[in-house]
Amino acid sequence: MEIRKPGIGAYVTATYPNKNDFLNAIRCLSEVSDFLEVGIPTNNPKYDGPVIRKTHFASELKGLDAVNVAKYGKVPTILMGYVEDYVNNLELVAKVASEAGASSVLFPDLLFEHLDKLEEYVMAMRNHSLRPTFFISSNTPHRLVNVLVRYEPLFIYLGLYAATGIKLPLYIERNIKEVRKLVDNITLIAGFAINTPEMVKLVIGAGADAVVVGTALVDKLANPMACAEFMLSLRGGLP
Amino acid sequence: MNVPHYWYNINVDLLRPLPPPIDPYEADSRIALLMRILPSELLDQEFTPLRYVPIPEEIRELYERMGRPTPFKRAYGLERVLGNGVRIYYKFEGALPAGSHKLNTAIPQVYYAIKDNAKEVVTETGAGQWGLAVSLAAALLGVKATVFMTRNSYLNKTQRVLFMRTYGADVYPSPSELTKYGREAIKARPDHPGSLGLAITEAIDFTLMGEGRKYIPGSVLGFVVLHQTVIGQEVLQQMPEEPDLVIGCVGGGSNFSGFSFPMIGARLRNEGFEKTRFLAVESKAAPKLTSGRYTYDFPDTGGLLPMVKMLTLGHDYVPPPTHAAGLRYHGAAPSLSMLVKEGVVEARAYGQEEVMEAARLFARTEGIIPAPESAHAIKAAIDEARRMPKGSVIFFNLSGHGLLDVDAYGNTR
Repeated sequence: MEIRKPGIGAYVTATYPNKNDFLNAIRCLSEVSDFLEVGIPTNNPKYDGPVIRKTHFASELKGLDAVNVAKYGKVPTILMGYVEDYVNNLELVAKVASEAGASSVLFPDLLFEHLDKLEEYVMAMRNHSLRPTFFISSNTPHRLVNVLVRYEPLFIYLGLYAATGIKLPLYIERNIKEVRKLVDNITLIAGFAINTPEMVKLVIGAGADAVVVGTALVDKLANPMACAEFMLSLRGGLP
Repeated sequence: MNVPHYWYNINVDLLRPLPPPIDPYEADSRIALLMRILPSELLDQEFTPLRYVPIPEEIRELYERMGRPTPFKRAYGLERVLGNGVRIYYKFEGALPAGSHKLNTAIPQVYYAIKDNAKEVVTETGAGQWGLAVSLAAALLGVKATVFMTRNSYLNKTQRVLFMRTYGADVYPSPSELTKYGREAIKARPDHPGSLGLAITEAIDFTLMGEGRKYIPGSVLGFVVLHQTVIGQEVLQQMPEEPDLVIGCVGGGSNFSGFSFPMIGARLRNEGFEKTRFLAVESKAAPKLTSGRYTYDFPDTGGLLPMVKMLTLGHDYVPPPTHAAGLRYHGAAPSLSMLVKEGVVEARAYGQEEVMEAARLFARTEGIIPAPESAHAIKAAIDEARRMPKGSVIFFNLSGHGLLDVDAYGNTR
């Protein structure tokens, strides 16, 4: 399944704050989002900001048991986990993702900490009819980005800041434009600290194809109505 | 030759992406804290996707007024004494008025702090080179400077303290009574010699204690390395031939990186320097490149900054006092650490006596008294020249003069 362009995705951590609320949240978010990103709860969410970290620590279930509680596929769904937890189990993660109806598994630490696993990761995705997806930052080496493009990923995800939910005074418009030049026509998704329609407009206007919202959703997850309203308000930033 | 128009950002040419900074799990976000203490433009430069970052015209003019481009000289006297036909060149950053390369980043950092309406810049210093550069940059640009200087250096480098005060800075020995961390350190150990890590913590804490203050760091962070590449960018224009070996000393890594990264970058892009070896030289007092672990660690002792992945001896490491106080730091810049880890840059550690002996030989053959820190590069250049074949070419960075370090020459053989 391709990601709709321009689009907005919602991030939720699986079984946070509990299994039922999570299932309600993804049902509701599927109605108002173009795609979902579902976090695989871990004890070591090292690139996440304080808000998302709490969701990992407080989720009812941990690891693949947590993402396994739902059937995905109404909209494209990408699992997000830390490869450090699955460094010797990439095939298993891909199998679980595939059986649950996900389109890919995104590992934000793959390129930073386990570049040697890149080929193995791509093979695991393909072996289970999934597409690879890659997480990069604004200063990821240009040649590496060129290599990623050649794998024809479902998308490349650009982390706009250093951690989820923490906004820094960076020229994100320039950063997106520069990265856009490197990723060619591959779908470019941007995320981290996006919480207003104005930011959605700026990020899409700079060249991203879609955005992901996570931290700003956390305190609305228990209330499906508030969740949906918020996502709809962000959609106002789409062209 | 003109002052370069661009700094060079090696991050976009590395073999692997730099792991992002991270927060510890058990406390408030250090990454969020950066916004309160650092000038915003510097944070942007830390994460820029640009390979070449334009140097603002005001900064270029100040670089020029202060003596850039610095000389790139051939060490004929030293070559003659070694007598084996190896050609040795050095970049002389001690030609700048603060006596070291540190002004290259002090000027832009103070400039960007003022753009954020800062009235005061706060920093730490080891031997005093960085503190002196910040004091001068602050004087040139018209803001106040406050410097926390490691106590051992404060007591021994009295002339540098005097120079900083002459430029108008407030200078305090660290640990000091001004901050919580300083008071705790003194209580635990009344004769504490200080460490750069602790001085950083004090400078950050002091920044947070007052309005209109910005903290500016002397090494390790990406934007410091970025600014220092003005050295290597000049070398690319000045060098008469490609080197077989490029050498620089390492405290946090800024002068080595600033000197060598434009050349290493060219190599990584397959644009020259294929035969060149790159050698980083550190002090045995703080041997993170040769003995450290490649792991996430705090750049400062108190753990106020986000953790970065680097070669480190641990943020609570207290090195023994040495005359090369600028090299007494527990970690190395993440980009340099990665290049060492990847084998692109070699590393070596030297002891104090052998380094000071090399410094004397250089003084007698070239007429320049080198800073004890820079003399580590000289020692490596001499050792390597003795074993390289005739016709080989060495470049090294003479990152500072030692005219304010003469006590080191008096206190060693």
